[in-house]
Amino acid sequence: MTKQLDLLDIQGNVIRAYGRFGYPMARYVFFNIKKSDVGREFISKITEKVTTSVEWGNGVGEIRKPDWTVNVAFTYQGLKELELPTSSLIGFSAEFVAGMKQRKDILGDDGPSAPEHWDKIWQRNRDQREFDVHVFIALNATGPNFLEQAYDWLCGLEKEFSEGVKILSGNSREDDPPMDYQDVKVVIEHGVPTAKEHFGYTDAIGDPVFEGMPAGSQRVNGRGKQMNDGSWAPLATGEFLLGHFDEANEYPPAPEPRLLARNGTYMVYRKLHENVATFDAYLEDHGQKYPGGKELLAAKFVGRWRDNGAPLTAAPDAASKRIFDAKLAAADEQGRDDLLSDFTYDHDMSGAKCPFSAHIRRINPRASLQMVHHDGDTPGSMKVNPDAFDTCGALSNRRRLLRRGLPYGDVKDRSRDDGNHGIIIMMINADIGRQFEFVQQQWVNYGNDFKAGNDKDVILGNHSTDPECPSKAVIQVDPDSDAAPYFLSKIPRLVVTRGGDYFFVPSLTALRMIADGVIDPT
Amino acid sequence: MSSNVSGNAYALTILSPIKNSYTHEEIAYADVVRECLQGWNMEKNSPMALVPNTYLCRYFVLDDVVNQSLPGAGALDTLSDLLPLVPDWLRRRALPAQDRLQSRYLVFASTFHGDLDTYLRGMWEAIGARIKEVWKYCYGFEQVDSADTFIAYMKRCQLQSALFFVGSNDDALDSQLKALYLKQEFAKFAIDNQGRDATTIRQHMQAFLQRVDPTNLTAPTWPAGKYRLTDEAAS
Repeated sequence: MTKQLDLLDIQGNVIRAYGRFGYPMARYVFFNIKKSDVGREFISKITEKVTTSVEWGNGVGEIRKPDWTVNVAFTYQGLKELELPTSSLIGFSAEFVAGMKQRKDILGDDGPSAPEHWDKIWQRNRDQREFDVHVFIALNATGPNFLEQAYDWLCGLEKEFSEGVKILSGNSREDDPPMDYQDVKVVIEHGVPTAKEHFGYTDAIGDPVFEGMPAGSQRVNGRGKQMNDGSWAPLATGEFLLGHFDEANEYPPAPEPRLLARNGTYMVYRKLHENVATFDAYLEDHGQKYPGGKELLAAKFVGRWRDNGAPLTAAPDAASKRIFDAKLAAADEQGRDDLLSDFTYDHDMSGAKCPFSAHIRRINPRASLQMVHHDGDTPGSMKVNPDAFDTCGALSNRRRLLRRGLPYGDVKDRSRDDGNHGIIIMMINADIGRQFEFVQQQWVNYGNDFKAGNDKDVILGNHSTDPECPSKAVIQVDPDSDAAPYFLSKIPRLVVTRGGDYFFVPSLTALRMIADGVIDPT
Repeated sequence: MSSNVSGNAYALTILSPIKNSYTHEEIAYADVVRECLQGWNMEKNSPMALVPNTYLCRYFVLDDVVNQSLPGAGALDTLSDLLPLVPDWLRRRALPAQDRLQSRYLVFASTFHGDLDTYLRGMWEAIGARIKEVWKYCYGFEQVDSADTFIAYMKRCQLQSALFFVGSNDDALDSQLKALYLKQEFAKFAIDNQGRDATTIRQHMQAFLQRVDPTNLTAPTWPAGKYRLTDEAAS
């Protein structure tokens, strides 16, 4: 039987990337709890408004799509302040307890990404009790008026419960202005809202599909897990929701009691500043030298073309791109979706089309990690090793991440890196260590699994700031051709961490129990 | 002892019993050995980096054997399950005694290139004084005063390495270090010469080959073993 999820129990941001559902803007607000009992009353009020994953409709008995949404999550300290019993607290994962700041060495948050350069709110977090981030509240809206309405509602509650909770300011590197929230919105290009970030790439096309997700079957191709017969199946629910079987047919580690964890999950909140001037200059410089030209090079950085997200595996050069574009223009919505997401690296094992250090190959290698080079094969070539594992996606199915969030700020002057612009990325997974941290450490900031030495993800990598050992990456070519691989040398730091932390996203049931103070693991 | 060998790699396992005694400061010899080895970690580089052809090595002090679980009483356990008539005291009496070590041991495990005698001789010649620092607390080590007696002593302490994995190719260490050096230098060369015309690249290649001297294993190359990237010892 097809898996049915209790959509009324799961928070809406777990199932939906709101940006794709007509909510182009949001505010993320962070709270400190001063008094536990008042904090719980506040959470109780919030919970009444929390948006679930339920499917919307205008028919009789259906729940209407709201004009604005509310979602809530907690840090470890937050759960402590809400007085969860110790025997529940000790069941949370070690990474969650430690928090993002303490995990900087694993995450590669060094140099300009080090915590001492983060936004004030994240610098003070886990440093001074009265500035600890305890609660995260996300307000997404269909338009600016509704966003104001939502924020007014939240501020009203803060006022009502001011004895016990306060909004934390400092969502910027300066305290003036205080920045009481993190503002995010889609990037507008030529007056049209887009799904792009500030470097010009379309974000999160390959967001995972898991069992029980509404309308998952239409979107599963290229987003689920690749099967040996070339088809796609949804990933196990337990990769993204606690209390459900994961890809190992086990329940992911979770705190007790079961009701606290079930239908809940972990969220990684990360603010990433984008160095647009450095990016443009680097692309311009190498674009002039790269034989395929600037736009193909930009596509090689990520694995997709900037104008429409066409994957390099399907459109590896200008000629094939024209054919792809014609197909895309002629396709219906489902066809367009398949063209953009339904691909594998099976015919690109040597990285000639999508390089090993391209962002989408690093973040989601699909079945491409089961690669092998035998003595006697063409130098530089890799091929599928069909005997390596039971399933072809064995090395990537347990490293997937749901990606939520939106860009923030506007790029007012592309010739400058500073200014307020970047993306807020929120990654949802059942196991922060196995999923987010592994991908960040092993695939984004290191290249060994891709047989790429210590080359990093071109876009996201924490590229060396030491001129003695600069970062590089290789753009592979067809090993059977006479073409020379292209070396990207002295790659600068394109993306810089500005803060973040690890959060627990409870189910609606758990939220109500937390608010009532009735979590009881005995 | 072919089981210690895989290709040109040799897996050495040494267990030397530490004397059951203590210093003037009333610290057990085994604890002094451990402290001494921990001190090696804090040096700028491991003394073992000076020992030729060491691929990977490890030292530790074995305090006692680790028990995975209580031992079983064999057939009597099954019998007592099937026939509860077997009294529990009888079943318990049939349990084997738990294994214990008679002393604490210094364990040295190393995988290296080449044959055992050459390796141990090289080790004695390179770091004889450092070896004494640690091994002088072990039974019988007072008889060691030369490379030959060291080799004989180590062979008496040797255990067979039946199962091991060498995460390295079969070449001597200096060849491997030179190969790594050449690979890295060549990557830099490729970056520096990207886009240049063939004549220039050929000229630069000649200069490059002269500089990196591919057949010279002694220089330029990477030094063996490196704890940390900076030259400063840990404070």
